[in-house]
This record gives sequence, structure tokens and C-alpha cells, in this order.
Amino acid sequence: MLNHVNLIKNTLLLSLLSFSVAAELSSINDEEMSVISGQAGVYLSGEITLNENGGPIQNAYFGDCTDSKRCGARLAFQTKQDGGWFVLDDMKGSFSFQGLTLRVRDINSGFGGDGANFNRQVLEIGLPDQIKVDKFQYTYATSTTARPSDAGFQQTDIYTVEIDGDITMQGNLLVFPTGDN
Amino acid sequence: MLKSKIKRLVTIGSASVFLVCGAAKAELASLSDNELSSVDGAGIGMVFEDFVFNAVTDSSNGQSFKISGIKSTSGEDVDITVSQLYIANAGSNYGETLNPVNLGRLVNPYEIELLDGNDIGLDDKAILQFAAPKKVAAGTGYDCVSASAAEGSGSCSSRPTGIDAASGEVIIGERPDIGLKLQVQVGTNASDNLSVNAKSAVFDGSYLRLWGDDNKNQLVGEYRLNFYTPELSISSCDSAGQSCGNTIYMKNFELELVLGNQFQPMSIGVTEAQNGTIEPGNFVFEIASIKDYADQKGYMANLPSNGLRTGCNGDSSCESAWDFFNGYYTNPEFKSNLSIGAMHIGDISGSGQNFGSSKIEGMTIQYLKMSSHDL
Repeated sequence: MLNHVNLIKNTLLLSLLSFSVAAELSSINDEEMSVISGQAGVYLSGEITLNENGGPIQNAYFGDCTDSKRCGARLAFQTKQDGGWFVLDDMKGSFSFQGLTLRVRDINSGFGGDGANFNRQVLEIGLPDQIKVDKFQYTYATSTTARPSDAGFQQTDIYTVEIDGDITMQGNLLVFPTGDN
Repeated sequence: MLKSKIKRLVTIGSASVFLVCGAAKAELASLSDNELSSVDGAGIGMVFEDFVFNAVTDSSNGQSFKISGIKSTSGEDVDITVSQLYIANAGSNYGETLNPVNLGRLVNPYEIELLDGNDIGLDDKAILQFAAPKKVAAGTGYDCVSASAAEGSGSCSSRPTGIDAASGEVIIGERPDIGLKLQVQVGTNASDNLSVNAKSAVFDGSYLRLWGDDNKNQLVGEYRLNFYTPELSISSCDSAGQSCGNTIYMKNFELELVLGNQFQPMSIGVTEAQNGTIEPGNFVFEIASIKDYADQKGYMANLPSNGLRTGCNGDSSCESAWDFFNGYYTNPEFKSNLSIGAMHIGDISGSGQNFGSSKIEGMTIQYLKMSSHDL
């Protein structure tokens, strides 16, 4: 009960604070609001290009993709303090997709009987059916140092993956919070 | 008590929301305790609905998927072309017909969650867990292997395609066909095709847990892979996909692989030499020795000389040491199992052979260290 009183007090306080601008705002009633659902979601198309013409660093190791030096991006990570580094090196190429959708969806049926039991909202990420990959590649390696410019740098490339053309990825990814009840 | 605490928190939370967006308060519907009780923010659930993944190499369509940079022992380049990598609904006929499948169930999804280490024997640690759908009590789920399993036949949550008895709704199925077809060329030799396909695959009960080890200053983990399939097949053919050798079919394949546990975490790192200089290019995979943990806890020094608990003569530190090892060797959670219902070489309805069933059960890893070396 006390909480409700506090709530009313807070709301009143807010009304007082925003009183001076009330004249410029026209209120929307519940009926008008109900017409606007705003739940159609988001439709995304895009292209992500990584180091097509080399990265910002140009030195003895990194080039601009016109010479024999590496021009892709480099990601190094270490799983042990003072240990060696796992490296994703020379990452370059591009992905483009059309029709990645984002929306909130209420699920209360379907899914072979699970929908009715679930009966909640989820974030639905609609996958774009086809992802166009343009000469995407990366090299998996292990290295003594994070950067090629660090002292004592030595690296062994283990394998290189190259992907080109369309990849099929259909369906929806449904994301929602979970927890033990 | 907890409920009233939550209620108070919720009320404070609601009041804050009203303060921030007081003007829109008419459009906000309050959440009931019941609704809120099902959300504790412990993790994120993920379900792939109507999912199909397919990556192929098809030069006529400009599609390619290649793995290079690997050398053979004689120094020749090994070029691997991924002819096809697919995930689709069961009944795909080895990747020919790709129909949508669900991965995970809304009521038992794939999850990324943070666990309290105190709940799983890792004191004062926060654990990051990636988990497949969890197993359910035996007899309340579906048989893990059978592609036509009915409800109540087993302990797996993922269902094969069918009709839900309670709701009458169609079950698309949560058991995908997964396949990988590779073309491998060593040097200038003729290339070979290798194809691995799993039908109606189930991963229920699998997880990867990661945490930081203070003593090693290293990222360590625990990995459990449960992999069940009614048929795992491996075949090889020549470059044209013709003159294939006999396909090896492993029927009713069940793998429960345990790598690491709370006493013996597994670690993956890049090698270091004894002098502290890191040898690049070599990775090391290690599952810590159970003896190290037992030494650290003082169990090794206190074991009874005759190996029997009665040999402790009531000494409590001796008994706890004996209890620890007894628990370690009897806990099924620490054991890996592999069961193949029947191994067929070739089509046994034709001239193929049935080599019968084989099992490896109760395998415990006491210590494992693998590292790569330059040749």
C-alpha cells in the first residue's frame, strides 16, 4: 500500500516537473495509441567488408593488398598469462545479405505443442536465406607475440580458410531470457 | 521471504520506470509475480526455427569453400575443398534434400548462461556455460538414438519428426542431419572424396564450461559432448565421385565424451619451452592430473595402506581421502562411453558385412597431454 502511495507521489512529481512544456505537446489517448503497434520490426540489408584495400597499418608485415605482404585484419588472443597467442590472421573479404529481420514475436502456439507451454515473447532474428560471401578468408596461426612488430615475433600458420559465393542460411533465430524457476 | 523481496525489488523497479517515462504509463502493463518469477536473467536461450545451413563448392555458380596451408609429412601441400557442409532436417538423403529443422526447443533451448561455481563444485568461481538442450528424467523424454522415438521412451528432450500427442500439433523435429563432404588433394596426386554424414543427430546434455584458473593463470574448462545418431556413415570415392569404396555405417552410434571436470580442468594453450621462451606453432591440450588435485587436498598422503575404508580405523582425513577417490571412480559424470549398435561395411542388404556391436564404457581420463610438434 505504501509503495502505491510512493508511486502516486512520484507520478505527481513528474507531472509538476513537466508542466511547463505541456502546452507544446499534444497528448495521444489510448485509442490513438492502439492503432500504432510499432511491432513490424526492422528489416536489414547490408554489406560488411574487411580490409579490401588493406588496413590502416602499413609496415614490414602489413601491406595494401597490392604487394606480397599481408593486408587482412589480425586478431590475437591468449588463453594463458605470459603464454603464446592464438591468431586469426589476414582476415579479409566481404559478406553481404538482404533481408535480415528483427522483431519481437509473441509465441503461444505451434512448435509441436511447446508454443502453448512457452507462452512468452522472444526476439526473432530472421536469417537472410542467402549470404553472399566475396572472397572471405582467414589464416589460423599460433604466434609468440600478439603483434608482428613485437620483439621476438615468430609465427606458424596452421591453415587458411577461403570462402566465396553464396551460403544458404535459412530460418529464424529466437532469443529469450532463461532461468531456473 | 524471497518472494516478498522480489516483490519489493519489482515495485522499486516499476516506480523507476514510471519516473523515467511517466507520460506513457497508460500503455505499460504491469508484470505479475508469476510472470516475473519465470525470468531471473540467468542466461540466454536460443532456438533456431526452420533452420537450414548449406555451404557448397560449385564452380559453375562461383561458389567455393577451401582449406589450405596444411602440409603432408613429405612436405606436399594438402588442399581441402569442402564440397558440402549442411545442417537440415532428418530425411535429407545425405544432403540431397534440405528441409528446415528446429534446433533446440522453446522449453529446453540451447543456452549461454553464467553459473555459480559453488553449485557445481568450483568454489567462488563464475562459470560461463554454453549448453545444448538438457537431458530430462529417464522415461519422460525421447529415446536419444531412435529416429522414430516416442514420448516417454528415453531421456533426451529433442524430438524426432512426428505429431505431439497432447496438442495434436506437428513436430518439425529437433534432430538434424549433419554432413561434411571433403575433396582432399595431396600434392599433385589425384584427389579423393571423403564424406561423413550423421542422420537425426542429437546433442542433448552437451556443454562447454569455461572459467579462469588462479594457480595456472589460464583459461580452463570442462567439455562434455553427447552425440547420438541412428547412423553415422563414412565413405570415400575418387575425384569424380565414382568408384566409391565400401561405406562404413555405424548404426545406433552413441558417444558420451567427457573432457575435464571440476577436479581436472582441461586447458588449451600455445606451448612454452622450459626456459620460458614460447615455441610458436604448437598448441598443447591438457587435462590436469587427478593426482595433482589429490596432492593439493592432502588426499594422496592419507590413503589407507590396504586400500579399504576400514583400513582407516576411523581416521577422518583418511576416510575423506578414501571417499574422494571412491566418488571419483564411481561417478558416471566423469566417465566417457562409446557404443556402436552395429558396424556395417557396405550395404548389408547387398554384399556388405555386419561386424556386430562394440562398446567402450566407463573410460576415465586420469591425465592427458597432447601437443603438436614441427616435423
